[in-house]
Amino acid sequence: QNRSGEYVIAGINISGIKFLDSNALLNMAGLKVGDTLEIPSTRTATAIRKLWETGLFGDVEITATKFEGNKVYLNLYLQERPRVSRIQFEGVKKGDADKLQDKIKAIKGKIISDPLVKNALITVEKYYKDKGFYAVKVNATQPKDTLLSNSVILKLKVERGKKVKADEIIFEGNQAVSDKRLHRRMKIKEKRFPRIFTSSKFVPKKYKEDKERIIKLYGKEGYRDAQILEDCVYFVKPNRVNIYMKLHEGPQYHYRNITWKGNFVYSDEYLSQVLGIKKGDIYDREELDKRLNFSLTEQDISSLYMDNGYLFFRITPVETKVEGDSIDIEMRIYEGPQATINSIFINGNTRTSDHVILREIRTIPGRKFSRREIIRTNQALSQLGYFDPEKIQIEPVPHLETGTVDINYTVEEKPSDQLELSGGWGGGIGFVGTVGVVFNNFSLRKAGKLSNWRPVPAGDGQQLALRIQANGRAFQTYSLTFTEPWLGGKKPNAFSVNLSHSVQRNVFRNRVLGGLQVTSATMSLGRRLNFPDDYFVLSNALSFRQYTIDNYNAGLGYNNGVSRSITFSTTLARNSIDNPTFPRTGSNISLSVTMTPPFSLFDNIEGRANYDALSPQERFRWIEYHKWMLDASFFTPIVGKLVLNTRAHFGFLQTYSKEKEVGPFERFILGGSGLSGFNFLLGSDIIALRGYKDRSIVPFSTGVNAGTGGTVFSKYVMELRYPLSLNPAATIFVLSFVEAGNNWADFGRFNPFNVYRSAGIGARVLMPAFGMIGIDYAVGFDEVRGDPGANGGQFHFTIGQQIR
Amino acid sequence: CSKFTRLQRSNDVQKKYAGALELYENKDYYKASLLLEEIIPVLRGTEQAEKAQLILAYCYYYQKDYTLSAFYFKRFYQTFGRSPKAEEAMYMHAYSLYKSSPAPNLDQTDTKKAISAFQSYLNAYPTSKRVDECNKLIKELRSKLEIKSYNLANEYYKQDLYEAAVIALSNFIDQYPDSDYREEAFYKRLESAYLFAKNSILSKQEQRYQEAIGYYQDFAERYPESKWLAKASNIYEKAVEGLRNAQQKMKELQKPQKQKEEDKAQPSF
Repeated sequence: QNRSGEYVIAGINISGIKFLDSNALLNMAGLKVGDTLEIPSTRTATAIRKLWETGLFGDVEITATKFEGNKVYLNLYLQERPRVSRIQFEGVKKGDADKLQDKIKAIKGKIISDPLVKNALITVEKYYKDKGFYAVKVNATQPKDTLLSNSVILKLKVERGKKVKADEIIFEGNQAVSDKRLHRRMKIKEKRFPRIFTSSKFVPKKYKEDKERIIKLYGKEGYRDAQILEDCVYFVKPNRVNIYMKLHEGPQYHYRNITWKGNFVYSDEYLSQVLGIKKGDIYDREELDKRLNFSLTEQDISSLYMDNGYLFFRITPVETKVEGDSIDIEMRIYEGPQATINSIFINGNTRTSDHVILREIRTIPGRKFSRREIIRTNQALSQLGYFDPEKIQIEPVPHLETGTVDINYTVEEKPSDQLELSGGWGGGIGFVGTVGVVFNNFSLRKAGKLSNWRPVPAGDGQQLALRIQANGRAFQTYSLTFTEPWLGGKKPNAFSVNLSHSVQRNVFRNRVLGGLQVTSATMSLGRRLNFPDDYFVLSNALSFRQYTIDNYNAGLGYNNGVSRSITFSTTLARNSIDNPTFPRTGSNISLSVTMTPPFSLFDNIEGRANYDALSPQERFRWIEYHKWMLDASFFTPIVGKLVLNTRAHFGFLQTYSKEKEVGPFERFILGGSGLSGFNFLLGSDIIALRGYKDRSIVPFSTGVNAGTGGTVFSKYVMELRYPLSLNPAATIFVLSFVEAGNNWADFGRFNPFNVYRSAGIGARVLMPAFGMIGIDYAVGFDEVRGDPGANGGQFHFTIGQQIR
Repeated sequence: CSKFTRLQRSNDVQKKYAGALELYENKDYYKASLLLEEIIPVLRGTEQAEKAQLILAYCYYYQKDYTLSAFYFKRFYQTFGRSPKAEEAMYMHAYSLYKSSPAPNLDQTDTKKAISAFQSYLNAYPTSKRVDECNKLIKELRSKLEIKSYNLANEYYKQDLYEAAVIALSNFIDQYPDSDYREEAFYKRLESAYLFAKNSILSKQEQRYQEAIGYYQDFAERYPESKWLAKASNIYEKAVEGLRNAQQKMKELQKPQKQKEEDKAQPSF
């Protein structure tokens, strides 16, 4: 009998439930007495689905029990089943239990069923197998939960057993590739005595990957048909398995004819040349894909098109003929139209402002789509350090009808602030502790509002660094640096301000005898130049420094007083090295000049004409000098990964007037590791010369200030470097070097060939958190005049990347 | 140990539920949410489930965790569509999203979500007393998107990327027809187009100057009283002159070619 039509629900009866609340269930089902209900309609289906999705019932049924005119009475039959109220583990360590709870917590509150239990068992087993416990056994029991009606506890009993390792890996059917090479290709190794560092743990996931690796190995050699016919894993001891694999190799294939179809922009010859595969080459499908679609090292076919707007470019290599071991390939190309970039969208930046990201984006509206620019943008965004490099998503959205493409950039923020805490012995004053904090994504603009200080205002790509170094009362230094990398927002003109204050005191038996304070403020502006090429950077800095000396002998000739300096410095540098951590090619050349105002020109006005009659304090009221530095460093690849680094460094310090000698400030000191230590007083330039003791090479004393350092130096280095690891998490390289340098009291004595020579070996480790740490062993060949023990074999430790 | 840890360790669901309600009343939202999270799966299908879920959502809302409160309010009105509290939950879902929408220079996913949540609310409850409030909030959220779009376009203008600025500003003008920044965008588009033409190679100048002149006409027609009009007219005159110069130069360049061709055509005796 046809009952379709519109009805009013006159009553709803719920049957089958014992523990649950009928009103709550009706609310969930979305049915109510008084509602109009069309029969048939999707509303009842929706209600059933909603109830079913709660996972509370074994069965859900809605039936119309009675019709009365336009009234209908419904019956909801809900079969209640016991539910899981808790999950308990037995034989599981606390840490594992927490992780497992998390993995299977979704089953809490669901009705207990065989598939549910089975899934829980599989999850737990997989967890242990992935950790190497291949022999794990898991049992489930379901006791009643006495605290909650109609509930059970899911009890999982785990017998973890020992870690299972591979005893023997047996191959059958391989002729072209030896057992040894197959073993080498696999990540799972046979358990053998001297093998300590490699893992022989048997993990199903790793085993699956290993099988893929073997097929890939064959593929690379042209064995296109290679496959693993059968394989099995069997226990030989409770904690040892054997792996057996039967292989089918098939013939080794070669290319025969490669033809092109559908190309209008580039000719067949040109495409063949870029592809670089000749007739007779071994057929390697993986390599072919690389050369067609994406190659990191060489140009590939896709990049020809994709870097020139052909966003829709597709290429499909089709094996048109396979004869014996020869393959003919037809490259079917779809070029499509060129696309112009229209809009750029930025998503996911929950902290960093749009403009900080947009200025790194190289895909600019109006230009042709280019895959290369997208890759470069990806690199630039990663290098900012604000985003997780793995999670930067770039999605071009093409609009065929207008010939344009929009590009969506999605980023995920990560913490970019750094904290530095370190301590060490140094500078001849004992323990020095350092506390530093660097906010890499600071925002000065937002600093005015207190609510933004959580913990610091962020998002404008500025840098704020605070650093305190101290050794009790004897030595303290504070520094604060603020950097805006894009001053004005138009071009990457880096502007920075630095304030620093240092104190050094003579402390004897807990009493301060005297001390010295240096306070300085520096402002600098760096600009990238477009001429002669865009590797050039010009930077200018203005700085003011005040030295306050209070009962302290600093070798200046006076023990109480104040000296000041104002310096202006300009640096022109060209840096074309390919990689900052381990450069292989390129060069880094920099010329800088630092000068103070020429105070001596005003000497007459101030009544200082008679220079010789002035006291040292009068002479050094305003410090005066000009200083020139030239540094050149070249990187040349020799063979393989071996790189030669050739460097030359020169420095020259002079006063403005001939009659006056150069002051004790800013002089050069050579020798040792080149670590500046804590001699900040005279602003000496401490330059490494390995093979000689720290600061041992100063001109043999003539004149008042000569003991404090030279005024001319030169240094030459040839260094061979070989990388052991180029992993960004820890770059490691070893080096051997010869170097030579000297330091002269004045320009008249300068002789660039009269130098102290040395040779040695060393290693460098660079980790992002610690910076570069190095150790060198070097032998100095020439005896130092006035310091006979300074040369000879010795170790040098270095921290940070040194320029000179 | 404290009363709360005892509650947390207890396996008695009813006791935990009562404890959570008490904590909520006492405004200890963090502890209340911890207890509720634990018992909600077990409470499913019971009388208390409805209240527990709504309170949990409010716990997160008062803790200012708007992402989670948005999630739980949504789950509430989806599960308990017939509850008298459903309307409130739906509004609070949208309002939580509104609260989590950040400044215009950051990711606007939540802003877009909030707009559509308010719209769904208005569709579901068109006679609600919150209609005016919703419309006001939607307007505020939309203006954020507008500011974002304008700032991005303006960034190209600032960086002297004239071609990109013209495209981005045109997109902005099309997308936000009633924006407060529209007039400024028109002017900046004209200026960018002029500078783009001026810095182009000769063969492209003619077409690009013409484009700039077109943008001036659009601007002058739409905003005859604009405060930028004087500056715009100035640019317009320069563009006209630039166009004339470009045409002249192109002619001169073509002339020798023509002459050469003519020379070739005339056989010399």
